[in-house]
Amino acid sequence: MGALTVSDVSHHYGATRALSRVALKMSPGEQIALIGASGCGKTTLLKLLGLQERPTSGEVTVMGCGLGKGKSSMLRTTRSKIGMLPQDLGLVPNLRVVQNVILGRSGKRWLPGTVRDLLWPAKEEREKIFEILDRMGVAEKMYDRTDSLSGGQQQRVALSRTLYQGAEILLADEPLSAVDPARARDVLALLTSLSRENGSTLVVSLHQEALAREFFPRVIGLNKGEVVFDGQPDEAQIESLYDL
Amino acid sequence: MKAGAWRLWTGRRWLIVATIVVFGWCVARLGTQVISHTSGANPLASTLRFFGAAFSPSLTDQNPSLPDDATPFLWRLGGDLLRTLRYALIATAMAIPAGFTLGFLASEQWWPRQRARWLWQGIRWPVRIFLSLIRSIHELIWAIFFLSAFGDFAMTACLALALPFTGTLAKVFSELMDEARNSAHEVIMSSGGSGAQAFLGSVLPSALPDMVTYSLYRFECALRSSAVLGFIGIETVGLSIMRSFESTYYGEVWTALYLLIITIVLIEAFGHLIRKRLTDGVVRGGGIEDVISEEKLRRTAPRDRLLRASSLVWLLAILGAFQIGDRLIKPMAEGQQEARLSRFWTKITPDPVAPEKGVSTWDERKEAWAEGADEVIPWMAQIWESPGAEALANTVAMSVAAIIVAGVMALLLVPWAMRTLATGKPLGLASGGGSVRVMLGHVTRGFFVASRAVPEYLYAFLLVGLMGPSAWPLVFALALHNVGILGRLWSEVGENQNSGEARAVMQVGGGRLQAFYSSLLPLSLNRFLLFFFYRWESCMREATVLGMLGFSSLGYYISIRKSFREYDEILFFSLLGAAVIIVGDIVSDVLRRKLREG
Repeated sequence: MGALTVSDVSHHYGATRALSRVALKMSPGEQIALIGASGCGKTTLLKLLGLQERPTSGEVTVMGCGLGKGKSSMLRTTRSKIGMLPQDLGLVPNLRVVQNVILGRSGKRWLPGTVRDLLWPAKEEREKIFEILDRMGVAEKMYDRTDSLSGGQQQRVALSRTLYQGAEILLADEPLSAVDPARARDVLALLTSLSRENGSTLVVSLHQEALAREFFPRVIGLNKGEVVFDGQPDEAQIESLYDL
Repeated sequence: MKAGAWRLWTGRRWLIVATIVVFGWCVARLGTQVISHTSGANPLASTLRFFGAAFSPSLTDQNPSLPDDATPFLWRLGGDLLRTLRYALIATAMAIPAGFTLGFLASEQWWPRQRARWLWQGIRWPVRIFLSLIRSIHELIWAIFFLSAFGDFAMTACLALALPFTGTLAKVFSELMDEARNSAHEVIMSSGGSGAQAFLGSVLPSALPDMVTYSLYRFECALRSSAVLGFIGIETVGLSIMRSFESTYYGEVWTALYLLIITIVLIEAFGHLIRKRLTDGVVRGGGIEDVISEEKLRRTAPRDRLLRASSLVWLLAILGAFQIGDRLIKPMAEGQQEARLSRFWTKITPDPVAPEKGVSTWDERKEAWAEGADEVIPWMAQIWESPGAEALANTVAMSVAAIIVAGVMALLLVPWAMRTLATGKPLGLASGGGSVRVMLGHVTRGFFVASRAVPEYLYAFLLVGLMGPSAWPLVFALALHNVGILGRLWSEVGENQNSGEARAVMQVGGGRLQAFYSSLLPLSLNRFLLFFFYRWESCMREATVLGMLGFSSLGYYISIRKSFREYDEILFFSLLGAAVIIVGDIVSDVLRRKLREG
């Protein structure tokens, strides 16, 4: 299941240091919030955990697989178990909802299968997607164009994509960035309850430390690319996040 | 000079100074004689008669000596228009798949990972250079080559149009694909999908609406270019216009012009409609019942019937264009086509290395190359010295003068055309003179539509006929077509501009023009310049062939060499023009990138 290990990882973009000697272990089914100021390295850490980039030094292992280790088919299989929820949700606006959701299984399909999925999805796949969308409360939008949905509905579609993918690890980058404060709790409640129900590991980057402490048993604080605390932080530790 | 004053001059004001200096250079090169009729001609009378005929287009033959059983004028004109449409349809149908494939190869999409980057660049750059070359040579020149190489078939005209259009479509498609790379692409890749799956699942659907609307625009351009092919004898509506004008049957000319304008305006309006439908999509009509099922949702999914019907109509029209009408290729006697191609190959080979016999074997060609290879560079140097360099400079001067004239005209007209200003509530503020402004807005936008509907070459042909052969009718022809395009593009930029500052100008008592020139124009300047450079490239390409109508530029020498079938020199002149376009393309690419970055 979804175990992640970050061993002494540093990462640079040119001369800019994004992460410095980060070491973390995340167990299957854990729910973790990454918090810190803008530019502290949260998105970079999520990218490394998603095996999207190779760290400048150190190693990231996801379910026993890392970049540069083993065959590419193994990497593909591992990636097919990682669900990404980027800040802008990563949906194709002019595709129908069903098409966006079905793309979640790309890692488990070959090219002709993806073409078929997009043009003539099989009945059993359609029914599976309908069930997921129903569970997320957006079933009636299944055949609508994605850009005709509200922001909140689109977020549910993006989450449906990771459920359909059968992700064992869900990495969500700032899922509250475009959500009004009144709905922020609903979004986090949904994410954590889905993670509990499916037993999947959840790693979420956030700005709101109060919400992070309320919803996540483990909170990791980052400042200038370094881990400044790991666990349930106190006020002093929270303040240390913004020491410049 | 003080630092403050220096900054003032290195700001945007240098643009005005540079424009005046460059325009001065163009006038010095092209001369100041705008009308150049030989003595005895009465240009004013013929001009008045020509424009007078605009109000009484002819519906019947003006030629009194035609036999009674001759095909009626309108019937003949309809046939020419259908043929024009047919060539444009076939050319676009061939250029789209070719442009898509080459555009894909020229884009960054097909090699998404960083591994073996040298291999990817090794394929991508030759494709990009090939595309630049084929689109830099004008379709009229391709037609001259293909007529000689393959003979006078319908397919020759289609190929001449399809080749440069493939280059243009491929360039734009590759840019659209590169710009369409989004976070959905990253999501698919990071969930284990391959580059091809990410391309199919995110890049292609994101780029498709723009690719479809751009293809429709190219069809509109193909229609104009197809009409222009008439001027080298291919039977399209351009040939009818040329014959009627030369016989001074001006009523017939205007009928053909109106028909061409109406067809192009209708296609443009259709393109707008399709673009809107593709962008907005269709929303589900009516509410959804309480109990829903996947099956029911799928059955009642919102579908755009107009898009489906028009796709079917396009498909049928393309199939019809291939099947109905004159045969696209007429079979030749055995060996005749090979001999024709061989003769063409000999004529296009540089003179010092061309074999003596028109129809030559491969060995004879190799032998000729070996004997005359040393002479090729001196041969090129000689043509460059006279008349290549001067012809090239004149062509560049024509294109630059034309885009400056078009730019100035567009700057004067755009504030009258913008929908946000040509209204009773400019920029949302209550104001007087609404109905007059609305009417002027319609008139200005109508002028833009009509002026861009007529191809540059056609304007040039008519203006040279009325003003005599000099550079300026050609410059005005280019400017007239481009003012319609710049006017539309700039109006759209101005309308989409954040109008807060302009509204503030009007709130303190400023007028619409003050709001435009003091606020909207400076805010939009970068985007205005992007379109200005984009249109200059197009002017340069057209200026290369406009000289065929009688001014000492590249086109003039191309038309002279055409009479002597000296295709090697035609190729040399065409490549000179292409080189300037490619350099201009690179320079304007860099400028555009800098302007986009602000």
